[in-house]
Amino acid sequence: MKIIIESPHPDEEDVIIVRCASPDQQLISMLLTFQNSNTELIGYLDNKIVRLNYRDVYYFEANENRIFAYCHSDVYEIKYKLYELEEQFSSLDFARCSKSMIVNLEKIEYLSPLFSGKMEAHLKNGENVVISRQYIRSLKNRLGV
Amino acid sequence: MIKEFFSSLLHYFVNITTAVLIVTAIYLTISEQQMDSVILWEILLSGLITALPSAFLVCLDIRNGRILLLLWIAHFLLIFIITLLLINIFGWYKITAISAMLTFLAVVFIYLFTCIVHYIVDMKHAALMNKQLKQRYPKK
Repeated sequence: MKIIIESPHPDEEDVIIVRCASPDQQLISMLLTFQNSNTELIGYLDNKIVRLNYRDVYYFEANENRIFAYCHSDVYEIKYKLYELEEQFSSLDFARCSKSMIVNLEKIEYLSPLFSGKMEAHLKNGENVVISRQYIRSLKNRLGV
Repeated sequence: MIKEFFSSLLHYFVNITTAVLIVTAIYLTISEQQMDSVILWEILLSGLITALPSAFLVCLDIRNGRILLLLWIAHFLLIFIITLLLINIFGWYKITAISAMLTFLAVVFIYLFTCIVHYIVDMKHAALMNKQLKQRYPKK
């Protein structure tokens, strides 16, 4: 099966066309999941309520029973549980990197090892997050290593 | 967590045993001593015993750098004490000030050897992961 991704014209809407002989249950289920997936995030910063694009989030962190979304320079509180975010975004480019953190793989500049057996993810905004040893294996699998 | 612990235990056991064998080979060559074959089993057992706290430590998810540093220092001291106890139990040699100092140096060597081997392996893995990240998310 071929996967072709084409860029639409500037005035055209994004569209998914599936060309197949007979769409099976798996394909329909996959398309419905995609269509219904909720990737919208509402962030709270001081008195402001902001609609966030998940692609702008560098990482999510749980701190004292509160969840925060770290963007390039701003930090927003999110009214979700960490495991809910993990379920919601694991099919995208997000991966659990410690008990309290989920990192956006797209925002990782590079990884470097630490002497304690952990790894450090150097993010594109200059921040560093530690990847716990127990999550390194799953991250390697995600990256096909 | 359990899988991670046993995986780490195996890695540390192999690395520590290799380093202890190097130290023993150097010691036997220099001192021109001959030892009973039971020492091989004792080396394997000491490798396993000293690998246990190491595997346990790396499985802990501690994010505070200061606490982690203190734990690594405590871990080193624990390994040194375990080594002295094993030397005494196996009767490898009599513990004196000089032999304790030489044992300390041997533990430092084994400790550094194990850390460096792990770091080199992790560096290799990180390089592979960075390559995959670059392919997956090319710079715009």
